[in-house]
Amino acid sequence: MTNPLLYIDHISKSFGAVRALQEITFGVNYAEIVALVGDNGAGKSTLVKIISGALTPDSGKLWLEGREMHFRRPADAIREGIETVYQHLALIEELDVADNIYLGREIVSGGLLGKLVGWLDRPRMRHLTKQAISQLHIKIPAPNRSVRRLSGGQRQAVAIGRAITWGHKLLILDEPTAALGVEETEQVLLTIEKLRDEQGLSMIVVSHNMQDVYRIADRVVVLRQGRHVATLNKCETTPQEIVAYITGAKSKVQLA
Amino acid sequence: MAEVASVHSKALDGTAIRQAISQLLVRYGIVLVLVVLVAGMTILSPLLRDGQQLFLTPRNLIQVTLQASINMILAVGMTFVITSGGIDLSIGSIVALCGVLSAMAMRDLDIGPWAGFALALLIGAACGFINGLLITQLRLPPFIVTLGTLGIFRGAALIISDGRSVYGFDRSFQEIFSARLPISADLELPVAVLIAAVIGTLAWVVLTKTRFGKYTVAIGGSEETTRLAGVPVQRYKLGIYTLCGLLAGVAGALLLARLRSGDPTFGTGFELNAIAATVMGGTSLSGGSGTILGTLVGSLIISVVQNAMNLFNVQSYWQQLIVGAVILFAVILDQWRRRQSR
Ligand SMILES: Nc1ncnc2c1ncn2[C@@H]1O[C@H](COP(=O)(O)OP(=O)(O)OP(=O)(O)O)[C@@H](O)[C@H]1O
Ligand SMILES: [Mg+2]
Repeated sequence: MTNPLLYIDHISKSFGAVRALQEITFGVNYAEIVALVGDNGAGKSTLVKIISGALTPDSGKLWLEGREMHFRRPADAIREGIETVYQHLALIEELDVADNIYLGREIVSGGLLGKLVGWLDRPRMRHLTKQAISQLHIKIPAPNRSVRRLSGGQRQAVAIGRAITWGHKLLILDEPTAALGVEETEQVLLTIEKLRDEQGLSMIVVSHNMQDVYRIADRVVVLRQGRHVATLNKCETTPQEIVAYITGAKSKVQLA
Repeated sequence: MAEVASVHSKALDGTAIRQAISQLLVRYGIVLVLVVLVAGMTILSPLLRDGQQLFLTPRNLIQVTLQASINMILAVGMTFVITSGGIDLSIGSIVALCGVLSAMAMRDLDIGPWAGFALALLIGAACGFINGLLITQLRLPPFIVTLGTLGIFRGAALIISDGRSVYGFDRSFQEIFSARLPISADLELPVAVLIAAVIGTLAWVVLTKTRFGKYTVAIGGSEETTRLAGVPVQRYKLGIYTLCGLLAGVAGALLLARLRSGDPTFGTGFELNAIAATVMGGTSLSGGSGTILGTLVGSLIISVVQNAMNLFNVQSYWQQLIVGAVILFAVILDQWRRRQSR
């Protein structure tokens, strides 16, 4: 059997007495969307942060394409092509769109002085932002607009645009449609599907919306109070069954 | 068509004009405060001495900027720190420590004026670095850390100098660093003003055009988001506090040159004036937005008010009260301005 793209191997994490994650194990294949679901406090965001290097696990391993990863900081995961849109922490309001998309990856002007002082090449970053955005499904406002002046949907579009611009292996989206209206949700879902189907990107999508989950996911991983209670294949399950696992009405039977 | 036009012009009469004015205030409010103060003093000062203009003379204006210069340099450092969501209460103590140590080194070790100046900068940067280390490594709030080092640096200055002023160091230090450069027949530019102007310009460039400046804003906007984007936040914060300390070292050296002695009590309360100039200028105390130009204008306002009170012979107790009231007024204005721009 070939290695999956990402393999999460008995990951545990506690915050003091709170056991946020206990022995979580599952894989994400190439060009696959895995939905990560569970009630509030189930540990979804904690797991997301571990995969993206924002938190280090207490125990367990992470494998990417068969290599063991030791992410100590977000930059480590980013370098491996893993991009994350965090719940509540996606963008800096005080910066403009292009500055956000290039945050942590600034292009500096050529020449010794530019490198030495870190002189930002803003025209170039704005130009490239415009180019990158024109290839997406979602509409993103002008690169020099301040994020503060954007609607919830536009912000989410920028955040996803940022992840798409940089992530070439795995995108992790923590509740990407939580704050969005009907049409904006549709745009985001279309973009997600297109990324998988046309570019072969893999994604972990955290969501509370069962309809969205059921529509885009290939497999569904259910967490409950820090434990992994089910992995369901989309074609063999129903939204009702997923909900039953989330609420605990149905309990662990088989783990794929 | 005609109807549309008339509706349009009516809107222009009322709301549009009001909007334009509030836009102007929002953007340049603090500059207007300075303009009004200068205009007011220009009109009022002839009433003092038989119609003679005392305020709006080249000499007096240079005096005003000279008085503002040290606060400007400190406030520029403070602008970086506050923009990043922090605060530095220890800069007044750093000023004293740098002055005392630099003066003693020049007097006892005979290191010469340039090395004396460099030493002040080095000590300032080291103090800032210590602040940064405590804040980033122990994850303590900047307010607490710098409140502590405010006492520690001041105490160190007092202990090292035995509580006494340090005199008798190289005269050439004063000659160089409080020199006045002749511009024209009766106009001279103090070195401190020149240095403040250069620092202000460089700081503006750094804050608005470079990666360091962008990260300063980003960290103040959301430190966690910046970290998650892969930015080595702790390293940049260390840099920001070191920069603030370095600038306090510059201020310490210039004060030493101007006052011709290094005194361990110098610089007491300077941090408050620097914070006041910064906040007045429009830098948000909650971090994420800062303006060097605003900070420079804020420093000038404080200096103009002090100068005005000197010209009017206002008693020094009253001066403190009035400066405090002006700061409060400017901040209230700024809050109002911010609410308008939301
Ligand atoms: N930094 C932290 N310190 C202490 N406890 C934490 C921390 N982060 C998360 N927790 C706890 O860990 C548990 C899992 O939280 P997590 O944020 O991962 O849940 P979630 O599944 O993302 O929930 P939601 O659907 O509300 O976003 C919760 O009990 C939470 O209180
Ligand atoms: Mg969450």
